Amino acid sequence: MVTNTSDSMAGALDMLPKKRQKISAFNEKWLIFKENFIGRAGLILLSLFALMALLSFIPPLIDPMYHPMTGVDPKISCSVGPSIHHWLGTDFIGRDILSQLLAGAKIAFMVGISSAFISIVLGTSIGMIAGYFGRYIDAILMRLADIIMVMPTLLVVLIFSSLFGQLNIWTIVLVIALFRWPGVSRVIRAQTLTLKQRPFIEAAKLAGASPIRIILRHIMPNVLPLSLLYMTFRVSSAIIIEAALAFLGFGDPSSVSWGMMLQWVWKTGHMFQAPYWLLPPGICISLITLSFYMVGRAMDEVLDPRLRKEDD
Amino acid sequence: MKTTTKLIVELDHIRKVYRSKQTFFRSDQKKIIALECLSMKIKRGEILGLVGESGSGKTTIGRLIVKLENPDTGKIYLDDKDISLLKRNSLKNFRSRLQMIFQDPYQSLNPQLSVFDTVVEPLIIHKIGDSTSRQKQVNQSLELVDLKPPADFLDSYPHQLSGGQRQRVAIARAIVLKPEFIVADEPTSMLDATVQLQIFDILLELKNKLNITILFITHSITAARYLCDRIAVIYRGHLMEQGPAQDVMTNPKHPYTKALIDAHPKFGYANKKQYKTLLKTQREPVNGECCPFFIRCEIAKMGVCDIKTPELKKKHNHHSVACFFS
Repeated sequence: MVTNTSDSMAGALDMLPKKRQKISAFNEKWLIFKENFIGRAGLILLSLFALMALLSFIPPLIDPMYHPMTGVDPKISCSVGPSIHHWLGTDFIGRDILSQLLAGAKIAFMVGISSAFISIVLGTSIGMIAGYFGRYIDAILMRLADIIMVMPTLLVVLIFSSLFGQLNIWTIVLVIALFRWPGVSRVIRAQTLTLKQRPFIEAAKLAGASPIRIILRHIMPNVLPLSLLYMTFRVSSAIIIEAALAFLGFGDPSSVSWGMMLQWVWKTGHMFQAPYWLLPPGICISLITLSFYMVGRAMDEVLDPRLRKEDD
Repeated sequence: MKTTTKLIVELDHIRKVYRSKQTFFRSDQKKIIALECLSMKIKRGEILGLVGESGSGKTTIGRLIVKLENPDTGKIYLDDKDISLLKRNSLKNFRSRLQMIFQDPYQSLNPQLSVFDTVVEPLIIHKIGDSTSRQKQVNQSLELVDLKPPADFLDSYPHQLSGGQRQRVAIARAIVLKPEFIVADEPTSMLDATVQLQIFDILLELKNKLNITILFITHSITAARYLCDRIAVIYRGHLMEQGPAQDVMTNPKHPYTKALIDAHPKFGYANKKQYKTLLKTQREPVNGECCPFFIRCEIAKMGVCDIKTPELKKKHNHHSVACFFS
């Protein structure tokens, strides 16, 4: 009896220090995110689109006629509705719409994520530098941000493409990125200003840390969640800008994006004759921006506890 | 004799004024005088308690000594070297000799860094040792601050620790470089009473084992009494009284020191042994030179205290006071 209780006591004492859960700050946030309905729905939608992008490599392997850009069904020379060979029908010269849609997902991810990533890197580093060093560096960088912020992105890209002819998809990505960083850098600068006053930054200074070390080691990890949040919002805005450009006829003619598909529908006059051609890219654009937005919303709630609901 | 009373830090007529920002629309500047011609000496190996109320400039002294801020006029010497002349490499060397413990343990640790990363950082910055010897040094300093066994704490993040544990991590970070001098800026004001006592004991151990000189900044004169060898009382940027802790507590000379002792709750003889040196209603402030404590002082006399600022005068046995009636 006695030995039994002492055994269980020792067991419990043993458990305490060892079973201590080592939850890092990131893991804790992920647990909250998982509980969020909007976040889960957004993630599921996003993974569907990611699956589409991955599947886009398969159709050209089955038959060259399924190549989204160059593949043409030899039997079909005009737009035809869904059939067994073409699940979503074909476009005006007999290309498969489903394989175009899948390829469009790939382009959307590429454009969205890479331009959002570039603008986040730019915005975060400029925001941290402006916020940490202050004074005239801050003044110069923030006035530059103001100048770029008031320029309408779409218009500038249109002017660019009319100046330099058809733009390459990577040029479009770069231009979108270069015009979308100021919003991020403003937020990051504000966050840096509050972090700068915290004693742990002073403690790092006392330890002899250089400004670069303080920015990279102490400020960046603390603003990174915020920049990731802004990245999700930037992704959807980049996708919309690219789609708008392509629809207006200023996209990259060598790539198949959803905006490009919409432009083909419109240009060939199938706008109201071929819903099987018009609807899929339109729905996809709306849903992918929605899913990125939903993920962003959920991240926002994770990062800002005030947004969390009380009763869940 | 000469070696035992060797100075480590000397403040020489320090003046520090905080100004509000001048804007385009408002040209009037608000000045807040934090320190006014303050001179002070800190001996090697002692714990000097700096006592004063909020806004008396005690934190400013700490921040000036570790060079987080620079004085407007006056000089600060570390081992007879003027610290305002330090540049780059010598500044880095200086940083490794002086460290600070901050008031709020919830703000002074980076929430994104684990305990190990926090404590090891000074060693990485100063390029001391390789990874195994760093690991050893981190373990040593965690053991010194009573975080035992260190392995349990290395991977934890600040949000998993209690206030007392966080403050100990902050102390471990301060001592990992083996500094000669530590400024402890109210390290216990955010902690509860039992934890405070543990922190005091850690500080005493640091002084005895590592021979670290400590400037202990506090608003509680009894905490200073428990811990310190000498006490300096500061009011509105003026040094009012300084001397051996025992002496200042049992035989306070300055009315402000007496008021501070009065302010501390006592049991049993609540009203009997009070110095009653604090005026219930404040006097009208005087323009021009006067004793800084004049407007709140019970024993001040017109014609004496409102025309001159008293100087710090040595009374006996290293005990000096800045008051005309002491």
